[in-house]
Amino acid sequence: MKSERFRVLGTVTRRKDGIGKITGREQYVTDISLPRMLHGRILSSPYAHARIKSIDVSAAEALGAVCITWDDIPKVRYNERIVTVPWALHQDHYVLADKVRRMGEAVAAVAAETEALAEQAVRAIKVEYELLPVITDPVTAMQPGAPAIYDEVLLGDEPVKIERNIACTREIEEGDVDKAFAEADVIIERTYKTPKIYHSQMETKSVVCRPEPDGGITVWPTTQSIHNVRILLGRIFGIPLSKVNVKRVPIGGTFGSSIQMNPPIPIGVALALKARRPVKLTLTREEDMHDHTRYPTQIHLKLAAKRDGTLLGAEMELLADIGAHNIQAYSFLGVTIGWLVSLYRIPNVRYRGTAVYTNKAPSCAMQGFGNPQVTFAVETLMDELAETLGMDPLASKIKNYVGMGDTFWGQGPMVRSVVQSDGVQELLHQGAAWIGWQDRPKSGSQTGRYRRGIGLARGFHTSSAGAPQPGDVIDFSGALVKVNQDGSVDVVTALMDHGGGTLEAVAKLVAEALDMPLEKVDIAPAETMSTVYDVVTHATRGVYAGGGAAVKVAGQIRQEIIDTAARFLNVMPEALTIEYDPEVDQGVVFSRSIPDRRMTIGEIATRCWTNSWKTIAAVDSYRPVNCPPAYVTTFVEVEVDTWTGQVRTLRAALGSDCGTVINPDMAAGQLEGGLSKGMGFALYENNDWDVAGQLLSKGYLVDGKTPAIMEMPKPEDIGVYFAHTCEPSGPFGAKGIGEAATNPVAGAFANAIHNAIGVRFYELPITPEKILAAVRRKTDAVREKGESQAGGEPEKGLVGTGGELQ
Amino acid sequence: MQVEFELLMPKTLSEALTMLAPAAERGLADSSTPVMPIAGGTNVIPDLRDGRLRPAVLMDVSALDVLRGIRRENDLPGGLPGGLPGGRHGGGFIIIGGGTTIATLLTDPLIAQHAAALRQAAAVFANPLVRNRATVAGNLADASPAADTAPPLLVLDAEVELTSRSGTRWAPVEAFMVGVRKTVRRPAELITAIRFPVPPANSASAFHKVGLRKADAISVLSVAVLVECDADGLCHKARIALGSVAPTPIRARAAEDRLQGQVLTPALIEAAARLAAEAARPIDDLRGSAVYRQRVVGVVTRRLLTAVVDQARKVSSQFFGESPTPEEQSHATQSHHTQS
Repeated sequence: MKSERFRVLGTVTRRKDGIGKITGREQYVTDISLPRMLHGRILSSPYAHARIKSIDVSAAEALGAVCITWDDIPKVRYNERIVTVPWALHQDHYVLADKVRRMGEAVAAVAAETEALAEQAVRAIKVEYELLPVITDPVTAMQPGAPAIYDEVLLGDEPVKIERNIACTREIEEGDVDKAFAEADVIIERTYKTPKIYHSQMETKSVVCRPEPDGGITVWPTTQSIHNVRILLGRIFGIPLSKVNVKRVPIGGTFGSSIQMNPPIPIGVALALKARRPVKLTLTREEDMHDHTRYPTQIHLKLAAKRDGTLLGAEMELLADIGAHNIQAYSFLGVTIGWLVSLYRIPNVRYRGTAVYTNKAPSCAMQGFGNPQVTFAVETLMDELAETLGMDPLASKIKNYVGMGDTFWGQGPMVRSVVQSDGVQELLHQGAAWIGWQDRPKSGSQTGRYRRGIGLARGFHTSSAGAPQPGDVIDFSGALVKVNQDGSVDVVTALMDHGGGTLEAVAKLVAEALDMPLEKVDIAPAETMSTVYDVVTHATRGVYAGGGAAVKVAGQIRQEIIDTAARFLNVMPEALTIEYDPEVDQGVVFSRSIPDRRMTIGEIATRCWTNSWKTIAAVDSYRPVNCPPAYVTTFVEVEVDTWTGQVRTLRAALGSDCGTVINPDMAAGQLEGGLSKGMGFALYENNDWDVAGQLLSKGYLVDGKTPAIMEMPKPEDIGVYFAHTCEPSGPFGAKGIGEAATNPVAGAFANAIHNAIGVRFYELPITPEKILAAVRRKTDAVREKGESQAGGEPEKGLVGTGGELQ
Repeated sequence: MQVEFELLMPKTLSEALTMLAPAAERGLADSSTPVMPIAGGTNVIPDLRDGRLRPAVLMDVSALDVLRGIRRENDLPGGLPGGLPGGRHGGGFIIIGGGTTIATLLTDPLIAQHAAALRQAAAVFANPLVRNRATVAGNLADASPAADTAPPLLVLDAEVELTSRSGTRWAPVEAFMVGVRKTVRRPAELITAIRFPVPPANSASAFHKVGLRKADAISVLSVAVLVECDADGLCHKARIALGSVAPTPIRARAAEDRLQGQVLTPALIEAAARLAAEAARPIDDLRGSAVYRQRVVGVVTRRLLTAVVDQARKVSSQFFGESPTPEEQSHATQSHHTQS
C-alpha cells in the first residue's frame, strides 16, 4: 500500500502508452508493413487426426505463390515453450505437421503478393489425407488399444515411447498420508471438472519476418518472450543467435497464450527464408480459436481433518487433457500440487497427476496455470468441510492457511521459499465487513423465485518462479539503465507488457529508485540484440522479477551518480546523498553539511558529456531467490433465478496483498479483470468439441461466451482493497497481482450459489441449465419427503414451474 | 477461412432488381451463379468464412436509400393485397424499409410507440456494432430459428414485401420462413419492406430473450407476446411467438386461443404458458438442451403475459373507459374488484 516513504509509487499516474493505445496510434504486429513484404497463409487441416499422404503445391506455385511443406522445413523437433530446462522438456512439435493431430494443424503454408492471392494459393494446394480414428476424450485415450496420437517424442535429446497416449505423469508424496487419514475425524472427497476454454485475447497471433542480407533474420512476433523466441528460431533454423533479432511489439493481450513460441512464428520465418522477402502471417480468429485453450482438468480431491478443522492430509489425483501437443504438461502437473499445498498447511500429501494427449487444440497456460482449476476444487471442498464441521469457512481458512513463516511451494516441488509478508487475515476481515459476510443467509434457507447468496474463496499466485536452488524452471531477468545527457533515463528491458502495465511499473520503480520524475524515465524499444535475457513475462513475475532487476541496476546507477558527483563537487562520496527536489523536479546530489555544493542529476549527466568522460550506465541480471505469494480474497454476492437458472452477479469484494501497490488504479483494473475472466470460467465459458475433433462453437467468440462488461456488477458494487504489507524480497516491497486476481473467483461463485440455493456444483461452468436441473431435483426430493411425512410443504415458487410446466 | 466473391453495387432499386433477374432474362447462360443480396453482411460474411455459404456473386443493397426508414401509412397505394382490412381501428400500417438497420428500430418514435416487443428485441440484438449494420430484412432472410426480430414481427402480424422485376407480393412472416435458413423468397426477389398493422392503443407487446450472456448472445430461446384487452381484462386478441424452439420461429396458437375472448386471470395465463411450452419443439444444441428450453419458454411466456396484460388494461381504462366521475370511479374499482 502507498506509504509516506514513496514519492512515485502508490500514486495514480497516466500510463505512458495510454494515448497511443486509445488513439489507435500504437503499432501492433498486424500494423507493420515492410517494403517488398509478402502475405502468408497457412493451410490448416480440416481433420483432427490424419496421416498426410501427399501434398501437391504445383497449382499454388503456378499462381506465383511461394509454398512450404514438410520437405522445406528443418527436421528439428522442439517444444515451443522453453521455460523448463532442456533436459526436462518433452519435444513433439515441428514447424509443419509430420502428421495431423488436431483440426487446424498447419500442413503447408504459402506467401504471395497479396492476402487475396495467398488465400487463393492456399486453396489450390491438394493434400491427400489418410484419416485416422479421432480421440477427444482423455479417459478413452488411456484405454489399452486406443489409437496412438504419438508413437514417441523426445525428452531432452532422448526418444521416449508414448504408451496409451499418456504424455507424462508425476507422483509426489510427503509425510505419512495413510496415517493422517486413519487418524482423521472427518474425511471428505469430491471429483471436480473444469472446461477447455479459449483465452479470448484481443489480438490473434501474428508475425512479420524479414530475412537479412547477412543470413540473419529480424522478427516482429506476438510473444511474451522475445529471447525465448530467438533461442528457438536460432536452434530450428541453425542461425547463430547474434543474427536472430526479435523485436518487442506491443501485444493486444495474451492471458498466457503467447508464453510459448506461437506456431505462425517459425512458419513465417520459413516462408521468408524461402521467398527471400519479408513475410507477414496473421491468424484469423477462427484459426486462433483452434490454436490454444486452458488445460481442462478432472480433479479428485480428498481432505482429512480433525474435528476442530485442522487439516491433517490430502490426496489429489489430477487428469489433464493436454490436446494435441505437450506444451508444458510436466510443469503443469508439478505446479498443480504446489497450488494445493501452498493454499493450506497440509503436512501429509499424496499426489498423482496424469497428462493425456487428445486430438484437440493444444492446452496451455491461461491466467493462473492450473491455479484457477485447483483453487476451485480446494476452495469449494474447504467450504463443504467447514459446513460439515459446523465451522465458519472464514475461520477454517484462518486456521489452516499457509502464511507468515510457512514454507511455500511457489511453482511445484522444486520452487520452495518461506513466506515473508502475509496480508491474508487483513484481506479476509476487510472483505467480510464490506460484503456483510456475517449476515449472509443460511444456505438453503430461502424460498421464492430469486435467492441471494454470498460466497468466499481465497487464493494466491506466486510472484515469479524464483527459488534458492536452480530447479527445472528457468527464472531470471535483467535490465540496462542509462542516464542521458540531460539527466533523463532510458530503461532497456526485454520484459513484455500484456496490457496490464508491467513496463509502466518498471518505469515507476526506476523513477523511485533514482529520485527522478516519472516523466524523465522512459522504457526504450527493445529487441534481443540490445537487451539482456529475461525468461518471459508470465507467472505474475513482471513487477517482482522484471521490476526487481530494474531496481537492482538502478541501485548501481545511483551509486555511480554519487561517485561521479563526488569528483565534480570535490566531496567524499560517503558524504553525499540524492534526494528529489520538487523545485527543479529531479534528483539533487548534495552533502548536508556543505549545502552549497550540490548538483542535479541533469547537471551531472551533462557534465559527463561535455567533459568527454562517460555515459552513466549499468547492466545486470537478477535471479529472484523467492517467489512470494500474492494473496487474494474474493467475496461475491449472486442472485439466482430459480425459474430460469440464471445467475446475476450483484456485488464483489476483491482484496489483494500485492505488497507495495505501484499504481492503485491499474492494480484495481487487474482485480476487476480477474473477476470478469473468473466469472467466465465459473458461469459461462466452455468450448465443446465433437467426436470428430471439430470445434462445435461455430459462433466462435459469440458462442465462446466470454463475459462482457454487462455481466459485471456496477462499479459502485465492486469493492477493491489492498493489504498493508511490504514484501522484504520485492522491489520496494512489491509482489505480483495479475494471475492471483482470477484464481479464487470460480470457487467464490460456486460457494455463493451454494449459499443461495443449497446446492453444490462440482463441474464448471455452472450454467443456468445445470442450476435449474439441480433446483428441480431438490424440489422433487423435498416434495417426496413432504408427501411421505404428510404435511411437509413443497418449496413455494417452485411448484408452478417445477411441477406444472412440462 | 477467407473467401472471394464478386460484388455488385446497384445504385437504384430497378438496377438491383435487374441484377437479381434470372440469367436468361439478362441474356446470360443458365449456368451463371445466382446473385445473393447482402445488406449489413453480419450473417452472410461469417457464413462465407465458415464455409456454410458459397455464393460467388453478392449484391450490396446497403446504398439504396429508398429501402431505408420507417413510416406510417393509413392508405396503402394500390389497395391491400390478401384482402386485409385497411388496418384495424383505422390505424393504418407501419412500414419498415428493407434496408432499415436494427439500430434504427431503437431510435424510431413509431416503433417506440407501437411495437415495444420489436424495440426490446432490437435492444438485445447482438451488440451496437452489429446493430448499426444488420437490417430487419436481413435478419428475416437469414431465417435462423434464433432470429431476434422474428417473434416480435410474428405477434405484430407482420408481412414481408417481396419485389422482383415482374411485380410485388406480400408474405406473412409466419409463411415466409419455412425451415432452418429456408424462406419462400425466390432468387429474383428482394425484400423491400416489412409492414404490420398499427396495433390498437389498448394493446401491449413485449419480448424477452434468454441468452448465455447479456450481449452478443445467440438466443437459447426467446418469446414475444401481444395482448389486446379491455379494462376488465377481457382479451380481444392474443399473440404468442417463440424463437429457438423449433426449426423456425413459431406462433403458439393453442395458447393464443386459450386467451382470446376470455378474461385474463393468473390461472388462465398459467394455462396459456403451459400450452406455449407444449407448442415448443426444441432440440439439444451447444447453447442449451431441449428440456431446458421447453421448461423456460413457459416461464418466460407467463412472465411476459402477466406484464403486458397489466399494461394493456391500464391503457384501456385510461383511453377507452368513459371518463368517470369520482363516484363512478369508485364504483368501477369495486366492479373491477368483484370481477377479479
